Amino acid sequence: MSDLTLRQIKKSFGRTEVLHGIDLDIQSGEFVSLLGASGCGKTTLLRIIAGLERVSGGTVSIAGKDVTSLPPEKRDIAMMFQSYALLPHLTVAENVRFPLRMRGQGSREEQAERVVKALDTVQLAHLADRRIRQLSGGQQQRVALARAIVSSPQVLLLDEPLSNLDARLREEMQVELMEIHNKLGLTTIFVTHDQEEALSLSDRVVLLNDGQIEQQGSPRAIYSAPETGFASFFLGAANLLPVTVEDGPVARFADDQVLALPETQTERGERMLLLRQEDLKIVPADTDGALKARVAIRVFLGARHRYMLDLAGQRISLNAPNSVLVEPGDEVGLTIDPEQLRVLAR
Amino acid sequence: MTNRREAWLFLFPGLALLVLGFILPIMRMLVLSVMGPDGVTFEHFARFFQDGYYPSILWRTVRLSLVITALTAAIGFPLAYITSRVGPQARLWLIVMVILPLMTSVVVRTFGWMVLLGRSGPLATMLREMGLVGRSFSLMHTESAIILGMVQVLLPFMVLSLLGVLTRLDPRLEEAARTMGCSFLQTIRRVVLPLSMPGVVAGSLLVFTLSASSFITPSLLGGARIEVLAGSIYKSVTQTLDWNFAAAQSVILFFGLALVLIPYLRLGARHG
Repeated sequence: MSDLTLRQIKKSFGRTEVLHGIDLDIQSGEFVSLLGASGCGKTTLLRIIAGLERVSGGTVSIAGKDVTSLPPEKRDIAMMFQSYALLPHLTVAENVRFPLRMRGQGSREEQAERVVKALDTVQLAHLADRRIRQLSGGQQQRVALARAIVSSPQVLLLDEPLSNLDARLREEMQVELMEIHNKLGLTTIFVTHDQEEALSLSDRVVLLNDGQIEQQGSPRAIYSAPETGFASFFLGAANLLPVTVEDGPVARFADDQVLALPETQTERGERMLLLRQEDLKIVPADTDGALKARVAIRVFLGARHRYMLDLAGQRISLNAPNSVLVEPGDEVGLTIDPEQLRVLAR
Repeated sequence: MTNRREAWLFLFPGLALLVLGFILPIMRMLVLSVMGPDGVTFEHFARFFQDGYYPSILWRTVRLSLVITALTAAIGFPLAYITSRVGPQARLWLIVMVILPLMTSVVVRTFGWMVLLGRSGPLATMLREMGLVGRSFSLMHTESAIILGMVQVLLPFMVLSLLGVLTRLDPRLEEAARTMGCSFLQTIRRVVLPLSMPGVVAGSLLVFTLSASSFITPSLLGGARIEVLAGSIYKSVTQTLDWNFAAAQSVILFFGLALVLIPYLRLGARHG
């Protein structure tokens, strides 16, 4: 049974159409990420599901019921905002209880019980009587999460909930989100511009580009088999280079270097070659069959180095372990497992 | 602190104005109010409370000011809310419309009300022709006229005070409330209103003090029979030339206002 169905969702602001007919089915209990760059329409889509934004066309159904024209308060959803949107005039517990009270769910005692349970889930029970202003950013974030899950909504909407946290807290919260999702099994839609977040958290990643679904699938599938240049670029730290695929099959670069392609590559002609950072290895320049590149910039990242290399007139980047140390200006070789190469349309 | 002297220099003009233009006159007023022919006396205050006449004027002043404050808040809040939530273009026009009345003199506006509310004015004529009121009906020289005129004069102060708070209120809070099951009106009541209390308090303070101490509009629209304290003070100064009694009335008004302000300030401090 699908919990959320979007059919041909269109949205225009003035004369600009920002969503061009989105179709999406989300199954009960699924954790789906809407991934895309800023301005791709992902937040607008989320707001349409919440009822905060009217559609210009199409229908939204939640649990089989058409809710397209219902205001947010009549939809069985909960939303967590990027800015948390906690009510500053209420305490932590009052904030968490707010949706239960406004939706009239349960008696006063039951509500209090559910508030305690939700605060326990985010490990904040000891701060129930605090004012919002007295909380740190991370604590506010947890309160917002508790408030979103307390009413056990049919669909839980998360609008870049982790983007205001520092890196360490963010990782902690990712784990916590996963645990909460496993425990409560809420159908969750998660908007993010961070591909790592999307890949690590979700059952399914929906990649949006310019108001359209570019590609969707399981994180592993979408990462290992991007169908378009945009998808590969957005999903992994990938390098895309223009090549000509010739018989062999080989890919010929602009500077006439060639790289062997797997036998499965049957198409010929002008293509883009996808070289993922983690698949590239730096080897001595005279290694047999290695591509030749020149080191342009080296950045020390602690656990590893990031290199910018010039390959066939293009700047590519890759990370290398600290055991591989080359200097800017050096000529180096690059090898890659042919099975990891992907050829995309130009 | 090396800037201490500069700080004092900066403070000086305002401080001088405050001392010369406010504190000294107030002191003088306090002195006058207890000055009699043979030294210190409280006879002026005693006279005020001697019979029911002056206390009734005081009570009317407070009562009207409370009604005016409540009405400006009730009218001003929705106006300020809409103004804070429309697009920048429309907001500009709404603000101009709110401020525009401040650009004409109070006297001119009050004369306008006199024309509108008088016996041969459009309002009375219309009501008369509808058969709702008698021939002698006039809203002039009633408390309603004072309230009407004052609400119009003071509305901008309320709206501008509220606008300051409402424009700074994060609209996400209202959206969040909607996603948590609040209807639009519940959102206003549960989220917007509590969070705009500082503005409501500030606006009410302004409106209350301004209406309690105003005298042009009440005396023109209320006439001689419906007197307010400020009008009575004016009369004592200009007609009976009893400056000591005028000072005593002013002291009562002054401390009366201060008494009302204290709980308000408390409220403001709690929400601030």
